[in-house]
Amino acid sequence: MTDLGSRQQLEMAIEAEAAALEAEGLDIEARSMRRQTWDRFRKHPVAVVSLFLLLALTTAFWVGPWLSPYTYDQVLAGLPNEGPSLSHPFGTDQIGRDLMVRVFTGGQISMTIAIVVALLTTFIGTVIGAVAGFFGGWVDNVLSALTNLFLIVPGLLVLLVVAIKWGGGVYSTAVILALLAWPVIARVVRGLFIQFKEQEFVQAAIAAGAKPGRIMFRHIIPNTFGPIIVNATLAVGAAIVIESTLSFLGLGVRPPTPSLGNIIQDYRGAIDSDPTKVLLPGLFVVLITLCANFLGDALRDALDPTSRRGH
Amino acid sequence: MLAYTVRRLFSSVVLLFIGTAVVFGLTSISSNPELLLATCPPTRCGAEFRSEMIQMYQLDKTIPERYVSWLGDAVQGDLGTAVRDGRRPVTEVLGERLPKTLLLAIPAFVLTALIAVALGVYSAVRQYSVGDNALTAFSFIGISMPTFFFGLLLQVFWGVWWQEWTGTRPFYVTGYHNADFMDLVSSLTLPVATLMLVSVAGESRFGRASMLEVINSEYIRTARAKGLPERKVIFHHALRNALIPLVTIWALDFALLLSGSVITETVFAWPGIGSYFLRSITNYDLDPVMAIMVFTAAITIMFNLIADVMYGVLDPRVRYD
Amino acid sequence: MTAPLLSVKDLSVTFRSDDGDLTAVRGMSFDVMPGEVLAVVGESGSGKSVTSLAIMGLLPRSARVSGSAMFDGRELIGADLKQLRKIRGKDIAMIFQDPMTALNPVFTIGSQIVEAITLHNDMSDKAAWERATELLNLVGIPDPKRRVKLYPHEYSGGMRQRAMIAMAMANEPKLLIADEPTTALDVTIQAQVLQVIRKAQAVTGAAMVLITHDLGVVAGLADRVNVMYAGAVFESGDIDDIFYRTANPYTLGLLGSIPILTARVSDKLTPIPGAPPNLRRLPEGCPFRPRCVFATEVCHGSEPDLMAVNGGRHRSRCYHIDKVAEARAGSTV
Repeated sequence: MTDLGSRQQLEMAIEAEAAALEAEGLDIEARSMRRQTWDRFRKHPVAVVSLFLLLALTTAFWVGPWLSPYTYDQVLAGLPNEGPSLSHPFGTDQIGRDLMVRVFTGGQISMTIAIVVALLTTFIGTVIGAVAGFFGGWVDNVLSALTNLFLIVPGLLVLLVVAIKWGGGVYSTAVILALLAWPVIARVVRGLFIQFKEQEFVQAAIAAGAKPGRIMFRHIIPNTFGPIIVNATLAVGAAIVIESTLSFLGLGVRPPTPSLGNIIQDYRGAIDSDPTKVLLPGLFVVLITLCANFLGDALRDALDPTSRRGH
Repeated sequence: MLAYTVRRLFSSVVLLFIGTAVVFGLTSISSNPELLLATCPPTRCGAEFRSEMIQMYQLDKTIPERYVSWLGDAVQGDLGTAVRDGRRPVTEVLGERLPKTLLLAIPAFVLTALIAVALGVYSAVRQYSVGDNALTAFSFIGISMPTFFFGLLLQVFWGVWWQEWTGTRPFYVTGYHNADFMDLVSSLTLPVATLMLVSVAGESRFGRASMLEVINSEYIRTARAKGLPERKVIFHHALRNALIPLVTIWALDFALLLSGSVITETVFAWPGIGSYFLRSITNYDLDPVMAIMVFTAAITIMFNLIADVMYGVLDPRVRYD
Repeated sequence: MTAPLLSVKDLSVTFRSDDGDLTAVRGMSFDVMPGEVLAVVGESGSGKSVTSLAIMGLLPRSARVSGSAMFDGRELIGADLKQLRKIRGKDIAMIFQDPMTALNPVFTIGSQIVEAITLHNDMSDKAAWERATELLNLVGIPDPKRRVKLYPHEYSGGMRQRAMIAMAMANEPKLLIADEPTTALDVTIQAQVLQVIRKAQAVTGAAMVLITHDLGVVAGLADRVNVMYAGAVFESGDIDDIFYRTANPYTLGLLGSIPILTARVSDKLTPIPGAPPNLRRLPEGCPFRPRCVFATEVCHGSEPDLMAVNGGRHRSRCYHIDKVAEARAGSTV
C-alpha cells in the first residue's frame, strides 16, 4: 500500500485502512450491503424528496384524470380561457377544455413513454452490452461500429427524420426513442462485463466448467444491477425531455392525444396573453426530469461502494 | 504528426461515406416525396408535375442507385434542389441560412467554453462551498430543462413579464433583426442564451471534475511545496492539465450546438439551417434534409480531428505514430 | 550547544470526516539540528508523512493542526500563507515519494526547475536555465543540456527522482524533507538514488528529515531515528541506539528480530503480526499492545510515556524496556 497519494488520497488511504481493518474483523460493525445502500441513500435528503415527488406525480397523473368530472378532450361550452378557479384549478384553454385534466393526462402519456423507453433501452442495452462484453466477436464489432457512427451522425436530426415517418403514436414514439438510445446503456453494460469477466470469482467459475449463461446470470448480472438501475433512472429523465421536445416540434405524440410537449405547442399561440398556460406543462417536465436526475445521482452514490464518503 | 493527421482524415472520410449512406437510406424512406404526391390532389399536382417529381427524385430507381447518383453530385458540390423553396439549388439556400446559424452557434460556443472553465475552476477550488453547491443545483436544473422550454421561459420573461414591470423590451423575442449592430445583438441574445443552456451545465460539471482531479494530484502539491502562489498553482499548473480532457468535450459540443439549433431556431423563428431543417422534413423536401445532415456530420468529424490535434499540442505525452 | 533548526513541540493533526474524527498525529515532539539527518520510520498510517505535510502547511483544509513547529526562529503552524510561501522551496524543500506523479506532465523538467529557481531568486531566465542544467548534472543525469528540455514522461523513474532532488536542491535549502524517496523505485535504482540524496545533503549542507518505512534505508544515512507508531514517537535515539540498543518492541519488530510467538501469520510480508491500529478507535492503554509479544496487564492501563533509556537522549515508549533488552540479547547472540 502506498503511503501517501495526494492530499485527498491521504485521507482516503487512512479511511481505506480503517475499512480494511473493519473487514478483517478486528473492528466489526457488520452491515449488510442493502442496509448500507439505504443508509447512504438516506443521507441525500434531496433524493428522498425526489423519490417522493416522482411517486406523488405519477399517482396524480393516473388518479387525477380518473377522479375529475371532465375528460381531456371535453369542450365545456362557454368557458374558454378561464382563469384558475375551484372547479378548474389550472383554468381552461382557448376552446374551453379543463387544463388540469389535460396536463395530468399529458403527464400520464409522457410518463408512459418515459417508462417504456427506460425499460426498453435497459433491456436491449443490457442484452447486447452483455453479449458484446462477454463474448466479444461480431456483436462487439457491430456495437463499436454503431458507437462510432453515432459519434458523427447528428442524433437529434436522425431522430426527427425517423419520427416523421414512424412516430406520431404513444408507443411508436417510445419505440423510436428506445431504438436510438439503447447504445448508451449497452456501452455501460459492455464495460462492466469486460471488467467482471477478468475478476477472480468469474474466472474461477469458468475454470470450474460453468456454462456461459450461468456465469452471466448467476455471477455477473447481479453485480451490474447498480449501474443499470442508475442508468435506467437517468433514462427516464432524458426520455421525458426528448419526448416533450419531439412533441413540441410536432413530430412526437400527435393531438388530440395530449402529452406535456404537445400541450405546450398547443398553447404557444397564446404566449403573450396567457403565458402561464404555456409554462405550466413545461414546469411538470422540468420537475419530473429534475427528480429523476437527482434520484439517479443519489443512487449512483449509494450503490457505488468506492464512493463511501458520499457528499 | 502530419502522417497521423492525414491518416485520421482518411478514416474520417470513410466514416463520413458510411454515415451518409445510412442517413440517405433513412431519409429516402422517411421523407419520401411519394408520400407527398400521394396526399396531393390531382388538381394541384397534375400528371406533368408527378412525372417531373419522379424524374427529379429518381423515384423510379432503387435507393442505392439514388445514393450513388446523389454522392456523384455531392462531391462536385451539387447538393440538389430545394423543391419547396422556389426550386433553388440547396447550396444557395444554405449559403443564405448557414451564416445566420453560425451567428448563434459561434458566440454560444465561445461563451460556453469561457463560462464553463471559469465555473469549473471556481467550483473545484471552492469545493462544497455555498457557491459550488449553488452551481451544482444550477447545472442539475440546466440539464433537466428542455432547451425549447428554456427558450419559451426567456420569451415569457423578457417579452411579457419584463415589459409589464418596466414597460421596456430590451431584447427581441423572435426573429432576426439587423438594422444596426445593437439591433443584431438584441435579437441574438435570447437565442444564444437558449442554445448555451445545456452545454454550459454539462461543460461546467465536466470542467469541475477535471479540475478537481488535477488539484488533488501530486504535482500540484509539488508546485505548492515550491512556494508558488496559489494563483499560479491554479491557473498555470492545474488549469493547463485540466483543459486537456475538455478539448474533446468542446469538439462534441460544437456539433451538438449545430443540431441543437433546430430547437432554438424553431422557438425563436430564426432563419438559419435548423429551422429550415424542420421545415424541409415536414415538407418532404429531401435534398435540403440530406444536405444539412451531411454538413453537420462533416463538421462533427472536422471538430473531432481538430480536437485530436489540439490534444497533442496540449499534452506532450500524446504521440502520433 | 547550538539551537535546533527545526523544533516541533506537541504537534497533533486531526482529520474531520463524516464518520468521526481521525487523529493521525498525537503530540509529536522532536528537534532537528542544522546539518543533521533525522530519519522518521514507521508503517503506513503511523503519521510520519502527515507530520511533514503539517510542517509545510500542505495538509487539506479538513485537517486540524495544533502544537508548534519553530523553524529558524519562525513559527510554521498557523503561519499565514504568504510567510509560508517564502519558506517553501527556499528554506525547506521536499522530495516526494512517487516521481511519476510528482512532476507536472505538461511542462519540461527544465522549466519546472527554473520555476523553482526564479521564484526565490532574482535571476535572469538564461542564468536560471544554466543553473538547472548544472543541477541535473550534479544529480548524475547524463547529457543534461539535452535532457533539461525533455518532459517528465521522457525520463525513467530513477531519472525523475534525480530531477526532483535537483529541484529540491535548487535554492540550497536549510532543510530537506524526503518523503519515502525510494519507495516507488526499482530496487536496483534505490541505492543510486540514496547516493544522490546523500550527495545533495552534503553539497548543500542542509539538514534532512528522511521519512521511510524501511530501516535499511536509514542505516547508511541517518544520524538519529524517530520510530513512529499510531501517530506518536515510540522510540527515539541515535542510529546506534536504535539498531544495537533497541528498547522498544515495535522497533524490534521493524528490525525483523522479533520472536514470532503468535500463530497468526499475515500473508503480507510484515515482520510484525497483526495490522496497524484503527486511528479512530485506538485500543485502551498502549496502542501497540494487541500486536505486542511482551504485553502484560500493565499495558492495558494507560499509554506509557516516552521514557529515557539509560538516562541519555535515547528514549522509548514502553513499560518493558528491560524485557526487550533481554530478548534482543537472546536473539542476537
